Amino acid sequence: MVRMMWEDAFSEIPRSIPRIVWSMDRCPTPMACKKCLEICPQAVFMLITVKNQKFVETDVNEPGAYAMHPLFRDKCVGCLDCVRACPAGAINIAFEGEGD
Amino acid sequence: MCQYCMTHGHGQVWYKNALNYARQMYKLRKREGAGDPRQKELDPESQAGLILAQAVEAKTADPQRYPELKKMANRLVMQTSVGQVVTLQEAMDIVDLASPIALMSCVCRKMTRGKVEDDERSYTCMGLGIGMFKWDRWPERYKGGVEFVTPDQARDWLRKWNKKGMMHSIMTHGTPYIGGICNCDYPDCLAIRYRLDYGINQLIKGHWVAKVDYEKCNGCGVCVSRCQFGAVKKEVTTGKTNIDMMRCFGCGLCETGCKRQAVTMVERTTLPGMRGVW
Ligand code: SF4
Ligand code: SF4
Ligand code: SF4
Ligand code: SF4
Repeated sequence: MVRMMWEDAFSEIPRSIPRIVWSMDRCPTPMACKKCLEICPQAVFMLITVKNQKFVETDVNEPGAYAMHPLFRDKCVGCLDCVRACPAGAINIAFEGEGD
Repeated sequence: MCQYCMTHGHGQVWYKNALNYARQMYKLRKREGAGDPRQKELDPESQAGLILAQAVEAKTADPQRYPELKKMANRLVMQTSVGQVVTLQEAMDIVDLASPIALMSCVCRKMTRGKVEDDERSYTCMGLGIGMFKWDRWPERYKGGVEFVTPDQARDWLRKWNKKGMMHSIMTHGTPYIGGICNCDYPDCLAIRYRLDYGINQLIKGHWVAKVDYEKCNGCGVCVSRCQFGAVKKEVTTGKTNIDMMRCFGCGLCETGCKRQAVTMVERTTLPGMRGVW
């Protein structure tokens, strides 16, 4: 329930953020799939419109027109739902002290 | 009245003043140094985006730098794009202040959940004012087009989303110029998210605050599910709803959902302890 600007008990100590790597090579058209956006309980991902052109609506099937950015990765709990949902194996998540 | 009313209200609540709706959105402005390839000055929106991302990361990974980045992010969002919560009634009054009124897709929901709103039934965002005449320049932003509506249609549309549980806020495009009204929820709305999760003030609390009448409340819990800010919960001890008025953003969703009229929206400035809480 507590969604207010919260502080971790030990927030003065830096906590490492998971490394979330998204591969555009494996996922050239994220807007045509967006499974990771929909499934993440923490809404970690943010879709970025790379191609934003005057007078032209971007084609969701055009490679490279959109990119996925794990902007809110400090909120990632490591459930790996996104990794399992991804049909392309495009998401790689590693927590500190763990191998890939 | 809040700080924005003092600086931009001209004696009124700032979003009730039609002057603040007058400028064209996306007006082409020549920036200093534009055209000079040596000067790669970012536009304020992109600059704000970069600083926001840095502040988000620093909150966890670099707590030492976080306060400073947060301050910078606050300054930038307040200049470029900042929202304030309004009640359903206020939103319904605002649609009389500017025209045209255009319903359109929400850009946050698209970015955070990949939600494409591409017809008039799904649109959750509203553009207000003459800037909307230029919507077709940026079809990607207004994906699916826009639906121009009358003030009465706009009020029906606001009621519809309120019923579903979305709160309303005004949003500036180059403060103090108000570009429209959003219907928002957590975590899809980036402004709510930046404010609640990262302490970045892209959303300012509204002029009202919710107060429960314990005589009338029967603890049914409807209001709990309608608060997007985590301000409402059931207090088991009393069997009634408890609203933390300090956490309340004043959207009035709990009030419009309550069948027993147990919630009253109180004007923030009438409570000495709430005057400075925005
Ligand atoms: S691991 Fe879970 S919380 Fe983290 S990004 Fe993936 S779905 Fe979201
Ligand atoms: S689930 Fe995988 S393929 Fe689908 S959008 Fe996300 S990263 Fe791309
Ligand atoms: S909806 Fe009304 S009656 Fe029900 S718990 Fe909330 S305030 Fe009480
Ligand atoms: S307590 Fe009520 S008025 Fe306040 S933010 Fe929550 S739903 Fe809105």
